[in-house]
Amino acid sequence: MAIVDAEDRHLLEAFRRGEESAFAALVIKYREGVYRVARRMLGSHEDAADVTQEVFIRAHRALPRFDGRSQLSTWLYRITVNLCLDARDRRARISLPDADESLLDRLATPGLDEEAQRRELGWLIARAVAALPPRQRAMAVLRLYQDLPYQEIARIMGCSEGTVKATMFAAVRRLRQTLEAQGVRAP
Amino acid sequence: MTPRCRQVLECLVEATTGTLSPQDRTGIAEHLAVCAGCRREAAAIETTVARLRGAGAFAVPPGFWAEFTDRLQARIALERQPWPLRMRRWMASPRHAWGTLAAAAALALAVSAAVRLTPPRSPAPDPVTLRARGLVTETMSATLPSLGEVLDTWRAGLVLETDGVTDRRPP
Repeated sequence: MAIVDAEDRHLLEAFRRGEESAFAALVIKYREGVYRVARRMLGSHEDAADVTQEVFIRAHRALPRFDGRSQLSTWLYRITVNLCLDARDRRARISLPDADESLLDRLATPGLDEEAQRRELGWLIARAVAALPPRQRAMAVLRLYQDLPYQEIARIMGCSEGTVKATMFAAVRRLRQTLEAQGVRAP
Repeated sequence: MTPRCRQVLECLVEATTGTLSPQDRTGIAEHLAVCAGCRREAAAIETTVARLRGAGAFAVPPGFWAEFTDRLQARIALERQPWPLRMRRWMASPRHAWGTLAAAAALALAVSAAVRLTPPRSPAPDPVTLRARGLVTETMSATLPSLGEVLDTWRAGLVLETDGVTDRRPP
């Protein structure tokens, strides 16, 4: 149990003693991170909610056997990413709507209120991220939105740090091209 | 593009998002000072990363987490029930009940068909009878059609004698 942080270790031990409230505390601690990864990867709230639920069900089953060789968050994100990749394999395509010309026009309109502009820009970015190949998308989400170090991403994805580095470069380059093609310019 | 350019480009996302060691950062800065191509690429990556990170987090609908927790606890409680109870809940749904019934009926049919269609197996003859039958030729069988019965009778008596149940020898 050398890697797991002190708070998680304490909660894990309590859970193993049969205290369900310890598991509830772990859920509260990690549910938003898990949901955010799933939401960015799958593109819809419903799918992300289902995956988040499944992650904690599996965690509840497997926690007694968790060996502590990685951070609990790393372990949970690995379950999340695997479930998201499986969910996407089962679906033919992402559920985000196609590009809307009028939306791009509206983005360029100076009169559009700032909040609406921010929301629509967020939609375009989510769409560009969702269009990345699955593993590139997983790495981009974990780095850009969860701020995980490359070493942890490599553990989650089961590859070397060098692969993460090269994949991240390719992902960011691709995102830049997609956003430029959609008319999104530098801030 | 030189090998050093490729090396630097692959570190740019890491440098931009703030996890690179100061030593590596210095090495990149030195390269960018002398390479215009990498400088342009670095500026573009920095802008893209800022744009992507500025997209903001997704908001969940109001009351979502409370409902999420209730659903999760219900599922965990269900998993902890003993299997007969889980089975009863499973069978409470008509779709599951009919499906299980159909599968059980198909299994029963398959087992009964297998039992009926398998030819009955005759009991294996014991080694003594096998040896005796090996000595009976076709001519012997033709001359004495009831030789088989005689052999069986002889064998039955032999077994009784060996077991010591009856002693038919004259005193």
